Amino acid sequence: MRSRAHTTSWLRAAAAIIATVAVVTGCSATAQNTAADSTTLTYAINGGTLSGGKMDIHSSAFQATALVMRNSFDSLVYQKADGSFVPWLATSWQISDDGLQYTFDLRDDVTFHDGEPFNAEAVKANFEHVVAPETASADAASLIGYAETGGFYAGTEVVDEYTVRVDFSQPYAPFLQAVSTAKLGFYSPAALRENAAQLPAGGPGISVGTGPYVLSEYTPDQSIVFTANENYNWAPDGSTHRGAPAIDTLEFRILPESSVRTGALTSGEAQIASDITPNAVGQIGDEFTIENVTMPGLPYTLFLNEAHGVFADENVRRAFALGVDIGPAVESIYQGQAERAWSILSPATPNSYDPSLEDSWAFDPDQANALLNAAGWTERDSEGYRMKDGARLSAQWLAYNPVSDANASFGDVVQSDLREIGFEIVRDNREIAQYYEAFDQRNYDLSDWSFPSVDADVLRAHLHSGGYKNGSSTADPVVDTLLDNAIATSDPAERESLYQQLQQWNATHVAMVPITVPTAITAYSKTIENLSFDLYGQPLFYEASLTTAP
Amino acid sequence: MSVLVAVRSRRVKRMPAPALWAAAGFLVLLVVSALLPGVFTAADPLRTDIGEALLAPGPGHPFGTDQTGRDVFARVIYGSRYSLAIGFGATLIALVVGLVIGSFAGLMRSLGDGVLSRAIEIVMAFPEFLLALIVIAIIGPGEASLLVAVALAVIPSYARVARVQTLVVKRAGYVEAARTLGVSPAVTVLRHVLPNTLGPLLVMATMGVGTAITAAAGLSFLGLGPKPPTPEWGLILSEGRNFLASAWWIAVFPGLVITATVVSTSILGRHLQARSARRQR
Amino acid sequence: MVLVVWGAATLGFFALRLIPGDPVNVLIGLGNVSTQVRDQIREDWGLADPLLVQYLGYLGRLVQGDLGTSYRRQQPVADVIGQQLVPTVQLMALAVVFALLLALGSALIGRGRRTAPLAGLLELVAVSSPTFWIGLVLISVFGFGLGWFPVVATVGFGALLLPAATLAIPVAGIISQVLRQGLDDAAALPFVDTVRARGASHTRLVVRHTLRHAAASSITLTGYMVGSLLGGSVLVETVFARPGLGRVALNAIVDRDVPVVLGIIVLAAVAFSVINLLVDLVADRIDPRLETKQAYA
Repeated sequence: MRSRAHTTSWLRAAAAIIATVAVVTGCSATAQNTAADSTTLTYAINGGTLSGGKMDIHSSAFQATALVMRNSFDSLVYQKADGSFVPWLATSWQISDDGLQYTFDLRDDVTFHDGEPFNAEAVKANFEHVVAPETASADAASLIGYAETGGFYAGTEVVDEYTVRVDFSQPYAPFLQAVSTAKLGFYSPAALRENAAQLPAGGPGISVGTGPYVLSEYTPDQSIVFTANENYNWAPDGSTHRGAPAIDTLEFRILPESSVRTGALTSGEAQIASDITPNAVGQIGDEFTIENVTMPGLPYTLFLNEAHGVFADENVRRAFALGVDIGPAVESIYQGQAERAWSILSPATPNSYDPSLEDSWAFDPDQANALLNAAGWTERDSEGYRMKDGARLSAQWLAYNPVSDANASFGDVVQSDLREIGFEIVRDNREIAQYYEAFDQRNYDLSDWSFPSVDADVLRAHLHSGGYKNGSSTADPVVDTLLDNAIATSDPAERESLYQQLQQWNATHVAMVPITVPTAITAYSKTIENLSFDLYGQPLFYEASLTTAP
Repeated sequence: MSVLVAVRSRRVKRMPAPALWAAAGFLVLLVVSALLPGVFTAADPLRTDIGEALLAPGPGHPFGTDQTGRDVFARVIYGSRYSLAIGFGATLIALVVGLVIGSFAGLMRSLGDGVLSRAIEIVMAFPEFLLALIVIAIIGPGEASLLVAVALAVIPSYARVARVQTLVVKRAGYVEAARTLGVSPAVTVLRHVLPNTLGPLLVMATMGVGTAITAAAGLSFLGLGPKPPTPEWGLILSEGRNFLASAWWIAVFPGLVITATVVSTSILGRHLQARSARRQR
Repeated sequence: MVLVVWGAATLGFFALRLIPGDPVNVLIGLGNVSTQVRDQIREDWGLADPLLVQYLGYLGRLVQGDLGTSYRRQQPVADVIGQQLVPTVQLMALAVVFALLLALGSALIGRGRRTAPLAGLLELVAVSSPTFWIGLVLISVFGFGLGWFPVVATVGFGALLLPAATLAIPVAGIISQVLRQGLDDAAALPFVDTVRARGASHTRLVVRHTLRHAAASSITLTGYMVGSLLGGSVLVETVFARPGLGRVALNAIVDRDVPVVLGIIVLAAVAFSVINLLVDLVADRIDPRLETKQAYA
């Protein structure tokens, strides 16, 4: 018995060592074969959310999806840096006088990666996919104006083979902007017919579009490889490049840790890295170009849920906003790379921002205390927190993991500052599925996020009583009317005035507390030439080329 | 994760006296800091001070300050209560439950014993850390979950030792003798089985406290423990991990304290082990 | 073996049902989804069936080698695990090599009268340090401080060194402890005098004889080591931001991706059983006599 035990052990050891040697030698042999004649660009992206069924442009609400898939998916129109629109897959478009009908004339020479033709039927099939209940679309459905109740998307009609018309039940001004985003890109009708269920998981042969790059390899949580689409000849009007893209292969490496992305860039493993944190910018040397784009849309914002607990009282909401010393915290934590936000729209959002809100409110603990007293939170418990009718003044802050370092630090400051005025904040960081359970029920007091968008209509999803991301549970007819009127008009000045009224409304009623204006920081090697960026600060590779390494 | 591999030998070395005193002293300090943190620091572990962010260790802040200007020393001191509570609590739970399951298995007839020991074997096929993770998945993250998860993960080890010890006692004959004398089974267990199984288990548990503290810190490092800004050691480490290049002190000091704690409990455990080995001879 | 795998799968299956919350939420993520669609999804994934039917269905597919489909990634669990297996096996394999080398070195050097207490202390510290902390310290010293290794490389052999060392250190501490104890014990056995009497050199004595005896005792730790490496890989992969099975396990657990968690449970049980079974089979065939008086097992 005993002797056998020992033999056993020896054999185990031998087996383990043999296996070890085999694996280690095997791994060092395969690690070296990255050199190639064709040009390959390696791009370090965050992408931590993609593996959770977020590869589908039509259903995912994440910006990361658009960032990756833009390479494989084209849009009807292209929005230039100045905000104007130029032809892309649509050669021209007409908007009916009543604003209810958008008619697009399509290019007739476009094919999908699988050889299927791009035509009016394909557009119709895609828009129908966006609004189909099975798709469970969040962002794309909102962009197209669809909602289970209160939507105004009325359908897509094929006029002829290369003409398509989208109908609305009320005027919808931001639609042109919406169709310029990757979220309203086009899948091959064959992919929609045969692989609709696999689209969220994504992959070669599934995520089939018309774009300059074909998705050729996908290893979830590791990498996404795109290969040049040799047939591509339908770049947006005004592109400096024609035909197939110059870079043969794009390898997106999925590296959710910011320090790893920075490391991959500086060590030469990647030529470009996005989502660089402010404190890493200093560590990156001069041999890299830094592109820092101020994000349009909703800033990084705290949502005070008025449908749940203590934030039902406007005085408490105002006290919350006045009780946190936001300015110095933002400066120290974001190290000058992200600006303080004063309004619920970023200054970079075209035709909407209200600069009069800048410096319009300041840290004022005395005023905050007075407001809380006025709200009846006058008793104190043994830990120094305010009480009313035996209940503690306490708010639960719902967030989903991973919480970025900067946001976590900011949360610590909020907690510490509010403790000074007797207001308890309890952090509740959850995994994404548990987060949505609480979020869908609006079962929290406080939550936080930012949402990039080139159109101020982003506020509709966040403030309209039917908005799918209405985190503060705002249900104010005044707000709904302002939002509805804003999309019904195409007059820029009128829209600007309406959105400014909405920003003023929030400054008074404090449904949300804007904190910082996010920036998209991308760093890239000087070996990349002609790299352009879209309005969200995302690199566009179609026109880019690589010089030989210096 | 586990240091529960009892290094058994005929000649268990005694721990040198200075090491023993140092270990005991450190643990006493730790217990005091858990009960009366105010003795060691006047700073508030939760109070942020943006103007004092990321200061290197110095006279005012022995362990420096973190990214929001909180005093790392105060956070480590206040953190001892969470780690000690989880370490001792989880070990106690595992000890008691393991003892009950193990002695039952040992006393039962072949069928019951077979089923229980098979079950123990199956559970032991899993890395303890994975087991703890699964428990957290089921009951959700938090301080209490951490305690339960760490305890559940090590119960099988205790149960196994308890079972073996019970079998030894059973074979020794006094259980049989007691039964023929008409002593009730409960009394037999209390009088004969427990005293004999408890000794080895207590030695195991002393070392197990350190293991439990490390395991809990690991889980909380992964974000499965107490919520921020709780000054729990694993959480402090995880908050400091992205500041290694500029502020190593945030992560280094709590780690040092964890290591010192585990070293101390191991030294005490081995001392007990050596003593019980000598007594048995 | 079948018993262990079946037991693990069963235990896992029912334990994971205790997870609160609706798996349909994991399947859809964010979105306004009608009850009708939810029911459809529940139907499609077989979540509407009685528990026992689900269980038998799972076992039936498991027997055929089908581990099911991941809720979160919506691809076969076997693929999810397969894709991430290689980096973890590489990491663990190199860690085993490091651990054995470190332990051997420490055990041989730490046998002198003066060096023994030092080795003892080092072992204790190595065993007692939390894996994730070792990783952070190594990153600080070798990555940021000395700049010898890339802090966070992701390809190539160099990227493997620091993580493997991190994983190896606690394991090396344990092996070294046992090895040194074994060496001491073996040195006290009668055969040592015999070998000495035959005029063998000290080195020869240690390498050919006492070390073999000592190794026998430390190798009984294989099971513990594998477990420790697997558990440690979750932390090491997180600290070094490496892909791998540990991370898949962690993500699946926090995301409540039940099929993936079950898959990993089954994989661990199979690995555990296969190692034992293989070794036992081969051992029966060879069955050499190995005399020792030690009773570690």
